[in-house]
Amino acid sequence: MAGAVSTFPTKVAAPRRATAESPLVKTLLVGTLLVFFGIFLVLPLFVVFQQAFSKGVEVFLKTFEDRATAHAVKLTLITAAVAVPLNAIFGLFAAWAVTRFNFRGRSLLISLIDLPLWVSPVIGGLIYVLIFGRQGWLGPVFFPSPEMLSSNFIARFIYDNNIKVIFAAPGIILATVFVTFPFVARGLIPLMQAQGHKEEEAAMTLGANGWQIFTRVTVPKIKWGLIYGLILCNARAMGEFGAVSVVSGHIRNKTNTMPLHIEILYNEYQFAAAFAVASVLSILALVTLIIKTYAEWQAERQLRAAAETGE
Amino acid sequence: MSIHIRNITKTFGKFVALNDVNFTVGGGELVALLGPSGSGKTTLLRVIAGLEFAEEGNVLFGDRDVTRQSAYQRRAGFVFQHYALFQHLSIFENIAFGLRVRQRSQRPPEPQIRARVEQLLETIQLADFAKRLPSQLSGGQRQRVAFARALAIEPEVLLLDEPFGALDAKVRKELRHWLRRFHDTTHLTSLFVTHDQDEAFEVADRVVIIDQGAIQQIGTPDEVRESPANSFVEEFLDLDGTIPA
Repeated sequence: MAGAVSTFPTKVAAPRRATAESPLVKTLLVGTLLVFFGIFLVLPLFVVFQQAFSKGVEVFLKTFEDRATAHAVKLTLITAAVAVPLNAIFGLFAAWAVTRFNFRGRSLLISLIDLPLWVSPVIGGLIYVLIFGRQGWLGPVFFPSPEMLSSNFIARFIYDNNIKVIFAAPGIILATVFVTFPFVARGLIPLMQAQGHKEEEAAMTLGANGWQIFTRVTVPKIKWGLIYGLILCNARAMGEFGAVSVVSGHIRNKTNTMPLHIEILYNEYQFAAAFAVASVLSILALVTLIIKTYAEWQAERQLRAAAETGE
Repeated sequence: MSIHIRNITKTFGKFVALNDVNFTVGGGELVALLGPSGSGKTTLLRVIAGLEFAEEGNVLFGDRDVTRQSAYQRRAGFVFQHYALFQHLSIFENIAFGLRVRQRSQRPPEPQIRARVEQLLETIQLADFAKRLPSQLSGGQRQRVAFARALAIEPEVLLLDEPFGALDAKVRKELRHWLRRFHDTTHLTSLFVTHDQDEAFEVADRVVIIDQGAIQQIGTPDEVRESPANSFVEEFLDLDGTIPA
């Protein structure tokens, strides 16, 4: 699930075209697609669940009683609980800014929002090591020398309160925020672009203030686009491996998230346990898929409604 | 309540959208702002509503200088060309919106809101449609809802931006007559933007002809038709062939 980059609904429902291809070509194409899906999607998913339950339901359930596993689940939930709201706020601001205003560097900003989608997640983790790590920019503050401790009150404060970023939860959250930040913005931008802001203007002439316009007009308009973005953001936040792996340090009971824990279990030949945890992530993926499809459908409906009324 | 536009100048970058525009809409008057597309008429209407701000000049509602006020403080009733109804709200709630967003101290109690909305639904002959969504209505019906929504806040002036522009010819005629009758009973000061001279001449008490951000002529339909002020007005009116040769 890590690295599963999804496509975004950037199109406004195109009219259906009659195809000129012969039925044979159609069968061939659809057949190839189905075989491909079977081999690369359905089969692996089936194997995950089959392996997870290979030693029975009891072993499956026991996996989650294990302290290290329970901790990994907890850390993953905390990470998502911080990263998703942060990116919801960022995504809303970004989508608002690029769809409502025309400013210098606007198209550059739109491209930059996508950056985490095209760089390797490892780099997403590495940048934080280069900032907060022992050899990094802020290394002297986070890993202070005795002189630094006595002269710099920030370093002192960090040391006294035992604040850590790298090889700790804050680093994991930072790396997760980095890799997930395009999702909400990308879910909203096409929707907000198509809808325009006539309804907001109407609300303004009716005496609504900024907050009322936002909560009563804008949020209902973009609701499904927002949910769509949030659900993808959440899936990626929980499933991210690469970026988190770099900053985590893989300390059991401390800095292991579910994907990292799966790797550890697997390397220790605890296959049933590894697949049990993997199956939970897979279920998350399936639930995400269902909600995503529904949200997509609703968002398209909102787009169509906007198009129909000539906005 | 009269509307006074004084020395309004508005630019978009280097483009001068409005160039020192002056005129007054008298209290209880129905005035049409007529001009070709790109003439600045919609910009002027938006400046009056507070949706756009001019670099120079003043806008007054009666004695009240509203130049520095934002749209939500001015509370001019505004009707958009493409209705701009709230898609997620029922017709009833669309009309009630302006009353519901008022501060608690000024908000009418629920039964009063209800009564007001129902009365407006009667006026626009859509009483049976209260629970529907805008997407379930025809264009003409939607525009009537937009009227009612703007009227619900009891505005002192009514501004209409090409209100019939998106409708087909038959509905357009009907709504035109409806607007004139409505105005004759309420005498609500109204300014409407149009590029259609038939519409302007048929509905309005007075017509303001605008081109390239400047007023070309102001007068009653008869005055304008009989003595066009300059060659632009003459040509603009001639183009559609409405003046008998």
